[in-house]
Amino acid sequence: MTEARRTTRYIWVAVLLCIALAGLVVRLVFLHVAIQDAGRTRTVKTRTYRETLTVPRGRILDGSPSANILAANIGVKDVWVDPAPLLASNRLSSVAGQLARVLHLDEAELSTRLNTTNRHFAYVQRFVPQEKAAELARMKLPSVYFSDSMTRHYPQGQNLCHVLGFVNHDGVGSSGIEQGMESYLKGIPGLRESRLDGRRREMYDRRIREIAPREGADVVLTIDQNLQYMLEKALDATVERHHAKAAMAIIQHVKTGEILAMASRPGFDPNQFRAAGDLQKLNRAIGYVYEPGSTFKVAVIAAALDQGIVKPENVFDCENGRWLYQNKILRDYHAYGRLDVADILKKSSNIGAAKIAILMGDRQLESSLRSFMIGRRLGIDLPGEEGGILRPVAQWTAISSSRVAIGQGVAVTALQMLGVICGIANDGQIMRPYVVKEVVSANGTVLMRQVPQVLSRPIRPETAVLMRKLLARVTEEGGTGAKACVEGFTVAGKTGTAQKVVAGRYSESDYMASFAGFLPAEAPEIGMIIVVDEPQPLHTGGLVAAPVFSEIAEQAVRYLGLMPASPEQTAMYYAGRANRP
Amino acid sequence: MMWKAPTILVGIVLLLLALGIVMLASASSVKGGDAHKDPQYFLRRQLLFLSAALIAGVAASSLDYHWWQKWWVPITLLAIGVLVIVLIPHIGSKIGGSRRWLKLGPVSVQPSEFAKFAVVVALGAWIAKAGNKMGTFREGILKPGLLLVAMLGLVFLEPDFGTTILLASVGGVILYVGGSPPLWLGIGAFTGLCGFALAVLKDPVRMGRILAFLMPDKYPAAAYQLGQSEDAFTLGGVWGVGLGESIQKHFYLPEAHTDFILAIVGEELGLIATTIVLLLFAGLFICGMMISFRAPDTFGRLLGFGLTLMIVVQAAINVGVVTGCLPTKGLPLPFISYGGSSLVVSMVNIGVLINIARQGLEAGADRSIGIRDRARWL
Repeated sequence: MTEARRTTRYIWVAVLLCIALAGLVVRLVFLHVAIQDAGRTRTVKTRTYRETLTVPRGRILDGSPSANILAANIGVKDVWVDPAPLLASNRLSSVAGQLARVLHLDEAELSTRLNTTNRHFAYVQRFVPQEKAAELARMKLPSVYFSDSMTRHYPQGQNLCHVLGFVNHDGVGSSGIEQGMESYLKGIPGLRESRLDGRRREMYDRRIREIAPREGADVVLTIDQNLQYMLEKALDATVERHHAKAAMAIIQHVKTGEILAMASRPGFDPNQFRAAGDLQKLNRAIGYVYEPGSTFKVAVIAAALDQGIVKPENVFDCENGRWLYQNKILRDYHAYGRLDVADILKKSSNIGAAKIAILMGDRQLESSLRSFMIGRRLGIDLPGEEGGILRPVAQWTAISSSRVAIGQGVAVTALQMLGVICGIANDGQIMRPYVVKEVVSANGTVLMRQVPQVLSRPIRPETAVLMRKLLARVTEEGGTGAKACVEGFTVAGKTGTAQKVVAGRYSESDYMASFAGFLPAEAPEIGMIIVVDEPQPLHTGGLVAAPVFSEIAEQAVRYLGLMPASPEQTAMYYAGRANRP
Repeated sequence: MMWKAPTILVGIVLLLLALGIVMLASASSVKGGDAHKDPQYFLRRQLLFLSAALIAGVAASSLDYHWWQKWWVPITLLAIGVLVIVLIPHIGSKIGGSRRWLKLGPVSVQPSEFAKFAVVVALGAWIAKAGNKMGTFREGILKPGLLLVAMLGLVFLEPDFGTTILLASVGGVILYVGGSPPLWLGIGAFTGLCGFALAVLKDPVRMGRILAFLMPDKYPAAAYQLGQSEDAFTLGGVWGVGLGESIQKHFYLPEAHTDFILAIVGEELGLIATTIVLLLFAGLFICGMMISFRAPDTFGRLLGFGLTLMIVVQAAINVGVVTGCLPTKGLPLPFISYGGSSLVVSMVNIGVLINIARQGLEAGADRSIGIRDRARWL
């Protein structure tokens, strides 16, 4: 072997290796530069993630000094599976079986639901309590995952359900305050954009941007949890005692329009809102219109007095309970001969009220009623308010005014009827009713505070004072609302017993029994309306609704610390208190 | 001119080491923090290895390379011995399905790294001894071939396919340059390749790697690492994303601090840095070739040639794998990847090269006169 041949072999090897190294440089240039843009964008995209930062929804608090929580959030877990690997490994049925056992689901249904998908995501159950989720997690089932979620909880259950409403499964308020105050309650979700490492975890030091979420604000209601509780209990008892189909009640602060309590039956548990039907979800107190019957005479007589058409002492012939007018017979519940205006109200004579209305004339009656906000929404800050029905005068027939006078052929909501009563109690000013006192952000800033607002002034203050006196006589001995009295207080109010329209005719068996009133009559503080739908067998407002008014009012005055107007009454008040069991 | 080759060589090696330490600090931080709760875990250890490697390198440069020639038989036997020992269960540590490590107290050493050095020494010494008989089948192919195959086989059994291929190619080239008959060498290489192919076909892991290399779309799982590595270069672009800013090291690229560290270099420092790394290895190769070419005797020449080749071919294979030109093996990038045995042996290689250079011929000296009579440097 010569030196020269060896050198040639050296050079061969050296050249080959240099070519290889040059080739690698070319390859590097290609990787680094040539497939630049598309490849880089795709790669960066798979390493970036974007997350919406959800915030807890604001709470709903009651208006009492202790600010009781009426709606809050609790952390729960959504349980989901990735069915694909389970199907591939034939473990779907066993996993579904174990899930169904722990979560009390139907195993066959769950298996089918998970089996038919070829996606990588399927909910097993949402909003699973933490303990259940922890139990599942301990079982270490394959392809079963948990994600954090929040659910709305209403600690009071059915109480105040219609006012509070509920939040649907997508976290959107769907009725009541939850819907009405959605924009405040939901807060503003934030955004986080960041990089993920190879194990799909966020790399905190590579965060691209984070927009902090703004927590939902707390909504403070005017509702007082304790008054509400009294009202709910009383309503439940009433519905049961009188075999009623439905019932509604509202307590309102006379001077401001603040709603202190509002309840309707049937109700529902907002924690299980899916189980409730539409009838249960209906907030009847504001969303159900009915013919008010005799309570409506209050508006008619107040208007007539205000306009000087009648005076309290004017006497009307009540035709012994049967009056043929325009070929239609109008009856009184009890037959009366001659009654003055004050007694027409006290005894609730239909014939008397009709004659007063006829004296007023159609046009004047209609405009007066409209100024009492009949046929118009009061604008309460809750969704679902109805405006009632008051036909324009052009559509009235010859007997319309005589029927409207006794609350027939006109429809109102309980809220409207209470508005009329409270307007009289509040010196002739109808206040806009409201349930939201204020909205307070998470850091304590008051974002919104409700101020009382006068909607209308249907009568002069002097007329209002007069009406209060007349209405106070209703609860005296011999008045229709005698059972509404509260020991130590003068209660002013009016009963109503309206025949319901069934199949186009006024029913002889189905009634709407109501009582609307306020106290103390001398210096009114709270107004209240009780409406009972189809009570059986007792059906008059005086027998069904008035006692409920009395029962609640008696507790309410003590709870609110209202004092009687005169020393004698005060004595009675304390005596009554001492006599209480 | 010639005195410059070892100086440049030392400069190149120091640059590679410097870059290596910096990149290791970056690339290993995530893995270290995750697996050992200490982002500097691998850096600390590598710095320790580096001190040992520097000492070993200086020592090797001071030791007359003829010493290796004199002791080539014991060295070869020792290499074969440790390669056998590492295969014995309970003695060799099994990591990831391979028995590659021997635990010696607190440190683990890789016998295959030592085998790389031993193969060069053994073949060089053999060729020097055989002299003109290298042209014969018996002396030029059969005997050195058996020696090479014995060591290859042991490394192959670990199994460490990357080192096997490295040893086979470098060993073959040394024999070729040393004067083995090319025809027989070719036949031997072909036989070896067939045997290797058979073994790969029987090994699902290696087969998977080859298939993933050939058809990445059909074997996405096996092609994952390669894809992540290519993505790293693409993300880096020309100038890189900046030192320490790699995303791929965050669990996207497995072995970011060992075999695939060049991908992180490419991502953080860009095309500039990866090209420089390749140019440094090319420079190392040229320096090594010059030193080898001017060695005073056949052994020195083959030793220098083999050691240079061992480093540069390993680097080329590593870069080939990382850039997706070759199927995945398990070879670290010399001087840069994490690993003590590799670093120490690489530095010893460089040390020996420098010793050869110190005893080298002056440029333009007459190469025909008897080289054995030349005064030794030491």
